[in-house]
Amino acid sequence: MHLQHNSSMINSIAPNRIGAQKTQTDQARYFLGQWLLAALLGILSATPARADPIQLPAIVEPATQEHHVGKVIFVELVTPDLAAAKQFYAGLFGWTFRDTQADGIEYAEAFLDGHPVAGLVHKAVPAGEHRQPAWLSFFAVGDVDAAEEIALQNGAKVLFEPHSVPDRGQEAVFADPQGAVFAVLTSSSGDPPDIMATPGEWIWSSLITSDPDTDAAFYQALFNYEVFELPASKGAQHLLLASDNYARASANTLPANRPHAHPHWLNYVRVKNTVKMTAKVVVLGGRVLVEPRVDRHGGKVAVVADPLGAPFGLLEWPDTENKEVRK
Amino acid sequence: MSGLPLRWPTLAFVGGTLTILLSGCVVADGGYGYDGGYEYGGGIGAAYYEPYGADYGGWGPGYRVAPYRGGDHRLTGGDGHASEHTYRSAPASRSMPSIPSQSRSDGLRSR
Repeated sequence: MHLQHNSSMINSIAPNRIGAQKTQTDQARYFLGQWLLAALLGILSATPARADPIQLPAIVEPATQEHHVGKVIFVELVTPDLAAAKQFYAGLFGWTFRDTQADGIEYAEAFLDGHPVAGLVHKAVPAGEHRQPAWLSFFAVGDVDAAEEIALQNGAKVLFEPHSVPDRGQEAVFADPQGAVFAVLTSSSGDPPDIMATPGEWIWSSLITSDPDTDAAFYQALFNYEVFELPASKGAQHLLLASDNYARASANTLPANRPHAHPHWLNYVRVKNTVKMTAKVVVLGGRVLVEPRVDRHGGKVAVVADPLGAPFGLLEWPDTENKEVRK
Repeated sequence: MSGLPLRWPTLAFVGGTLTILLSGCVVADGGYGYDGGYEYGGGIGAAYYEPYGADYGGWGPGYRVAPYRGGDHRLTGGDGHASEHTYRSAPASRSMPSIPSQSRSDGLRSR
């Protein structure tokens, strides 16, 4: 009886224990499932950040095998108001745009007569903060990693490590020893041919810097430029940088009366009439930073800013040489 | 044993939350900064802003930025080796080049 009692007790307890273990196993499975579900949700939530980068157009269509190291082969604007920028440049130069949007990035490819001329990127400016929109110059190089090594050896800072952009190529962004920002690009579609820009296309670039001498040596190391001295006023230095037997850019001392100016690259669009175009800039909401003035080549140059503040140059390049200023 | 039902939800919650937070932090490119006042961001191109409030102008009468149209306008002739400059001057025998003059309609190859 006692044994029977014990036995019945065991029999009554055993099913309870088995049931409890089963319940625990079920609970463990349930919560393991929950955990896996949560982890899956976490991975899915990260998927947009890991998505493929935006697909940017090739800078040369159709692709060529041309390469012109040291040539400015592309320019890109960052602006807080893409719509306003597009309206301005369309009104000024007749550029048309093809919008691309992916990964939360708004990008507009600019064309003139079917030829790509620039890229415009939207980047919001936080409320209450001020930012200076700018055009970034992309110089052709044969090897971005090698360019980075040379740039670092010669005093540059890397602002944007070498990285690949699908269909565009490999690029990186540096600040030269004086702080002027520029990009290098190994274009996967080749470099644009060395031809005269038509009005509305980029025609020239100038570096305005605190130390043209040191900067010329830096860019010479990077792009193997030939460096030519040009006439300049006392205390200033004007240089011309060339490659492939073509002038690629000028380097000038920052004006002494501008203590707050900082070294920078400035790109110029070819125009037929600088005076008329500066007036048009103002009508379209931009500003004139340097009034039209005759330069070395006999045509006029001016520096203006778009309505968002991005500076760029206007350079009139007469088709004939009768206005040439020889100095 | 009685703690098991409490531990598993806790573990599930913490594990799931951590996974979400960690995976949500993975970004391909972006948030580049520079102590010069420039601001970068990207993943594409190199969206950057220059330091705000940059001063412009002050170009005096002799301030020239454009290229010459052609011919030689050399100020001085370098020897390509020794000079007082940090850079190597182009040899004196080199004439100063201008920008490309061939038009697109003349053909794509310009050299």
